[in-house]
Amino acid sequence: MLFYDVCMDIMDKLKILADAAKFDVACTSSGNNRAAKRGALGNAVACGICHSFTADGRCISLLKILLTNKCVYDCMYCVNRRSSDVPRAEFTPEEVAELTIRFYQRNYIEGLFLSSAVIETPDYTMELLVSALRIVRETYHFNGYIHVKTIPGADEALIRQAGLLADRVSVNIELPSQESLQRLAPEKTKQNILLPMKTVREGIAQRKNELSLYRHAKNEPSFAPAGQSTQLIVGATPESDSKIVSLAEGLYGKFKLKRVFYSAYIPGNPTLPMTAPPLLREHRLYQADWLLRFYGYKAGELFSHADENLSLEMDPKCHWAVNNLDKFPVEVNRADYTTLLRVPGIGQISAQKIVAARRVNKLDFDALKKMRVVLKRAKYFITCDGKTYEKIPLLPEVVAPRLMDKSDTGYSQLTL
Amino acid sequence: MLTFDGTFYGFLTIIHAVYYEKIEPCGIQVEGAVQLSLAEIPRFIETNDEYAERVYHAIREKISEESAEHVYRAFLASDDERFMAMLHYIRLGFKVGHMVDSHLHEDFVRRVHKLSKHVWREAHLLFGFCRFAETKHGAFYCEVTPKNDVLNLLAQHFCERLMNQAWVIHDKTRHKAAIYDGNTYVIAVVPPDEATFTYADGEEDIQEMWTVFFNTLAIKERINPKVQRGLLPLYFRKNMTEFKQ
Repeated sequence: MLFYDVCMDIMDKLKILADAAKFDVACTSSGNNRAAKRGALGNAVACGICHSFTADGRCISLLKILLTNKCVYDCMYCVNRRSSDVPRAEFTPEEVAELTIRFYQRNYIEGLFLSSAVIETPDYTMELLVSALRIVRETYHFNGYIHVKTIPGADEALIRQAGLLADRVSVNIELPSQESLQRLAPEKTKQNILLPMKTVREGIAQRKNELSLYRHAKNEPSFAPAGQSTQLIVGATPESDSKIVSLAEGLYGKFKLKRVFYSAYIPGNPTLPMTAPPLLREHRLYQADWLLRFYGYKAGELFSHADENLSLEMDPKCHWAVNNLDKFPVEVNRADYTTLLRVPGIGQISAQKIVAARRVNKLDFDALKKMRVVLKRAKYFITCDGKTYEKIPLLPEVVAPRLMDKSDTGYSQLTL
Repeated sequence: MLTFDGTFYGFLTIIHAVYYEKIEPCGIQVEGAVQLSLAEIPRFIETNDEYAERVYHAIREKISEESAEHVYRAFLASDDERFMAMLHYIRLGFKVGHMVDSHLHEDFVRRVHKLSKHVWREAHLLFGFCRFAETKHGAFYCEVTPKNDVLNLLAQHFCERLMNQAWVIHDKTRHKAAIYDGNTYVIAVVPPDEATFTYADGEEDIQEMWTVFFNTLAIKERINPKVQRGLLPLYFRKNMTEFKQ
């Protein structure tokens, strides 16, 4: 009953603390399968489930809120910085837990994404976060998905506790270089951002090791089974795309991150760029990110020496293909899977279909169309049994203009 | 022309009849569904659970688990002419085994894949878009109006997800509901206008909190209704708390 009596109060807090959290991009609930169990609420599915989509077209999957937006730091890119004039609020760990459960029972959400501004000290904040997770997991027996942000500079032991309670743990890098960090977020250092990342990586590795050594370890709680992620702000500082993509590559490789998110900077601080958010650039970075993770590209391949930034006119895969025309055309009846993946317009699904179908039947362009392989871009780069689609010479000046994006992609670069 | 009672087992019994009675049907329909052509005398095949189970077992064993899943999902689609494609698919499957899914040059294979994908996609979206409301009796009630007959798929998902609470998922298009008591679920017929319930105390407050949360999250500098419509088609929204005024 208590919960309903304080409803209005919670409503106001929810408004403030959801608003304060909305710039965090990550809303994925994927990466971990956990079966339901008797007496507990919920499960986790690896493919992830979107529960709604906001007016800006972003998925809502998690109850994404801050525990508090009362911050002692003054990071210039952040809406919650100490010097910013916004309404402040603070949830109790109990309130967060109860809200999570009520939303989950109604299938509004896939789980909880809890973050926080730095209240008093990093350790104190981290303690509050951990205690909220503990109530959700232990008092309410919540078995669904939890993503928690670690606070840069918090004690390693607290980060380990968070890792044992959550599915995913993340710490936001926010700014792609030490210099930018120093300029815009003087209270944060590269060191105290990377340290929690290392702690989590080691936690995950240690857990994997235990699992392979001891069978009984299966019953012990797992450590951040959905891995860790991070977020970078794009457009607030002068770093080039090449620098950002290489950084992402390093994070995927060295820190074994599951996801890097990119967030176009939305103007809010008069001392930073006041231009519209670079949405198209953000989109291109995500495309490049996909090429790193699913298509076997290396960051270095995506940038020619002349360009430090990704092309805005053409997606990075097309761009790479145009600069590497000597590797084309590719014969769809013979090329291996990884070669097919490099053809613009052919993604994983199409490549899989091609590989499966050609085992029983020779493929021609008509067959590809029927299988719904999109030829719009692919047609310049493939042959079917030696035949080309149209008699278009494979020359950069001929092909490139035909691969340019039309402006109706929904991601057009806005100007104020 | 063969007809059956419209159940999945009924359809599988037809497959059995095709093999064991060596029938070469020119069409398969649900009994009484559409006006049949006058030249044809339809033959009704009575559902036989034992035959049906044997056929389903054979599909799983001799073709593949994946194909069995395609067949079941395609069956749930709302497409009156799917049965012949499914028959051809199963026949080819019994000839070539699991390789049937590579025969993408055959129209009926692509058709079955397409229907199966379509059904699974709608079910998957509804795993997220279903909205439950707590009623006075303590059970959680959810209304859906899906294009395909996905009620069973939804019920299986929520048996896991919401294992410890009683719930009802009501398919208003097909006038039936999955009713779960905390242990197992049953599918029951619900005549139109028969489902009435009152909200539990505080239910409306929670709904309002969710709506507030939902509206707060949109970043106004990035509003893009076209993308939103693509990801969350309008026909789902009438049953969703956050889109009700």
